[in-house]
Amino acid sequence: MKLKILLVEDNELNRDMLSRRLQRKGYCVIAAHDGEQGHLLAKSESPDLILMDISLPAMDGWEVTRLLKANEATRHIPIIVLTAHALVSDRTKAYEAGCDDFDTKPVDFGRLTEKIENLLVVRKPS
Amino acid sequence: MNLKDISIKRKLMLITMLTSGVAVVLSSAGFLIYDLTSFRQSLSQDLTTQAEIIGYNSAAAMAFKDESSATVTLAALQAKQDIVSAVLYTRDGKVFARYFHGNTPPPPLPVLPRERGYRIEGSHLEVFQDVSLNGEPLGILFLQSDMRQWNSRAKRYGIIFLSFVLISGFFALLVSSKLQQLISGPILHLEDTMRMVSATKSYEVRATKFYGDEIGRLIDGFNTMLSEIQQRDAAVHDANDELQIRTLELEGEIVRRSEMQEELLNAKHAAEDANRAKSAFLANMSHELRTPLNAIIGYSEMLEEETQELGKVENVKDLQKIQGAGKHLLALINDVLDLSKIEAGRMGLHLENFDISQMIEEMVATLHPALSKNSNTIQVRLANELGAMRADITKVRQILYNLLSNACKFTDHGAISVDVDRSTEDNQDWIRFRVTDTGIGISAKQKRNLFQEFTQADVSIARKYGGTGLGLAISYRYVRLMKGRISVESVPDQGSVFTVHLPAKGTTEPIEAAQPEKPNDVPAASAEVKPNQDTVLVIDDDSVVRDLMSRFLTRLGFHVVAAASGEEGLRLAKQVNPLVITLDVIMPNCDGWAVLNQLKADPGLAAIPVIMVTVVDNESMGFELGASNYMIKPVDRDRLAVLIEKHRVARSFAVTDTKATPDSHRDASPKTKSGAWKETARII
Repeated sequence: MKLKILLVEDNELNRDMLSRRLQRKGYCVIAAHDGEQGHLLAKSESPDLILMDISLPAMDGWEVTRLLKANEATRHIPIIVLTAHALVSDRTKAYEAGCDDFDTKPVDFGRLTEKIENLLVVRKPS
Repeated sequence: MNLKDISIKRKLMLITMLTSGVAVVLSSAGFLIYDLTSFRQSLSQDLTTQAEIIGYNSAAAMAFKDESSATVTLAALQAKQDIVSAVLYTRDGKVFARYFHGNTPPPPLPVLPRERGYRIEGSHLEVFQDVSLNGEPLGILFLQSDMRQWNSRAKRYGIIFLSFVLISGFFALLVSSKLQQLISGPILHLEDTMRMVSATKSYEVRATKFYGDEIGRLIDGFNTMLSEIQQRDAAVHDANDELQIRTLELEGEIVRRSEMQEELLNAKHAAEDANRAKSAFLANMSHELRTPLNAIIGYSEMLEEETQELGKVENVKDLQKIQGAGKHLLALINDVLDLSKIEAGRMGLHLENFDISQMIEEMVATLHPALSKNSNTIQVRLANELGAMRADITKVRQILYNLLSNACKFTDHGAISVDVDRSTEDNQDWIRFRVTDTGIGISAKQKRNLFQEFTQADVSIARKYGGTGLGLAISYRYVRLMKGRISVESVPDQGSVFTVHLPAKGTTEPIEAAQPEKPNDVPAASAEVKPNQDTVLVIDDDSVVRDLMSRFLTRLGFHVVAAASGEEGLRLAKQVNPLVITLDVIMPNCDGWAVLNQLKADPGLAAIPVIMVTVVDNESMGFELGASNYMIKPVDRDRLAVLIEKHRVARSFAVTDTKATPDSHRDASPKTKSGAWKETARII
């Protein structure tokens, strides 16, 4: 069965490009274009992994991550935060918000898939 | 009043009076004495003549011893008023006959002298005359005159003399009182003038010269002196006026300068605001640029994969070119972003342990495309047992990558080498990276700006070799961030050697390092004490605050030393000479204000920027005492990080000034450096 990845990204081009490339890698991708939709889909679709952009309209990535990690039902889903700001404070903030990994945009696709695979491998047995 | 102190006028009159008086008295007395003497002479001659006559007349009476006729003869003397007594003595001295004038009692009979002649006996003139007849001595006649004539004459003369002296004295007074003005007049005038000058201080007054004598010359001299004083006075006055004008000018200048300074300060603030805005803009812009770039690279990668599967090789190459260009653009944007992050003080360090040789090998492997482009060879020489180092691997990699890709870029058909070894300096382990090339080299002039942003050695070089010119600037700042140093030696057309020294054990975790290594050194210090320019001294009596600050600042790449009391803080400040001090106010014994006061009073410490971190809301007090910044607890960590980073950047800019020899920054006196950063620090 295909692993399901939820991609929360407001930029249409990036959303389209990333979801197509992830699909080509063999993942099932569902996409959300803002924080609120991402939050709802995470709860309703229970994906295996979430790729979360930070600067999102309506509700930002930090907020969504915090909500998901605070919720018993969604806490186990690994979240990789994607941010354009490669700042120390962002990295610290990401871990504080409870996300599992962190990557900067523009994504190095190879590195990103590596991180995805790592997280899914770690999570699978549990 | 002392005679010497009376006025010159009176003195002159006195002198004249005395002189003329003495002259009159002396001359009159001389005349008087002469006249009275000669009058007495004539009186005694008269008396002698009288005695001769009476002697002659009474000689017969004596010869016949006729006493009564002798007495008659003597009585004839009645006519002579001045003869008071007459006595006839016999030869054996017995009184023969006698006479005395009027009813005066008979005078005592004089003792007969042996000699004859006249003499003056008291107030009387006496004459003894022999009485003889035909040469036969018969007796002696004695006549006594009371000198009445002489006395009355002397009395008269005395009156005349006195009145003469008085009259002449009066005239002398009249004359001298007129004549003394000849002398005293000019002197008194001179004196008046002098008194007036000294009272009114008006030096234009002149004394009048009356005569050409000594006093006239004295007045001349006085006038000359006055005009000299007047000239000097005028000169002093002029100088004073000039001084006043100059003072006014100076005051104006000071006001102007302070206004200018304020303007400059405002301009500086504006420039710094602008610089911050620029950095923020660059960061945002970079972000905005990266989003579409993300799509470009992503889609072209995706297309490349699909095209490869379809076997359209010629399209694959084009897609790779799009990717390459996109990645190059991304690299440029990253450089700009990095630099703006460093400038905004938002660049931190992520320390981790890594194997040096492995890192070098991996990095050299990524360098092969660049090497082959100019047909260069590379040689890696690693010292034995190089082991691991603790540092921000991404930044170390980037520094070396920048140096090596520069070497590749500026060397054609040449040799590039990387040497890495380990050394110990100042009780610290250092890793030395040396990148040598045989390329075009760098001139001494170019070296000066080498580590500044957007400065490639030559504009034409940028055109020929490409690049942002940011590589070395970023490398330099990264090296500084890691408390290392970078230097360059180069001979144009022969090649360059870049040497980077990095601490083998980057900023260590304070709690790990403190206890086992130096437990007795500094009791409350939460880190080993090293003289380190990237050290932050935290002074706070609350151990929780010390711990939190230490963790936070260490994560940002600072070396943290903590003090639990003011006294300890002062001691540690002297010991470590930190980059920045954070200071709490409410502490037992020695509070933060006292510490701040003592820090600013110590010339060796005054330059260290102090950030007040306190619950006490008294910012103005803090700035008055010389604090650089003021933060109220709970601390805004991001702001604290920005502030401290600003101080560090300010210092590294101060170092940039002397950057012709980048190694020299370690020896540069902290005072000169800190002078520059304190200014910068205050206006954050």
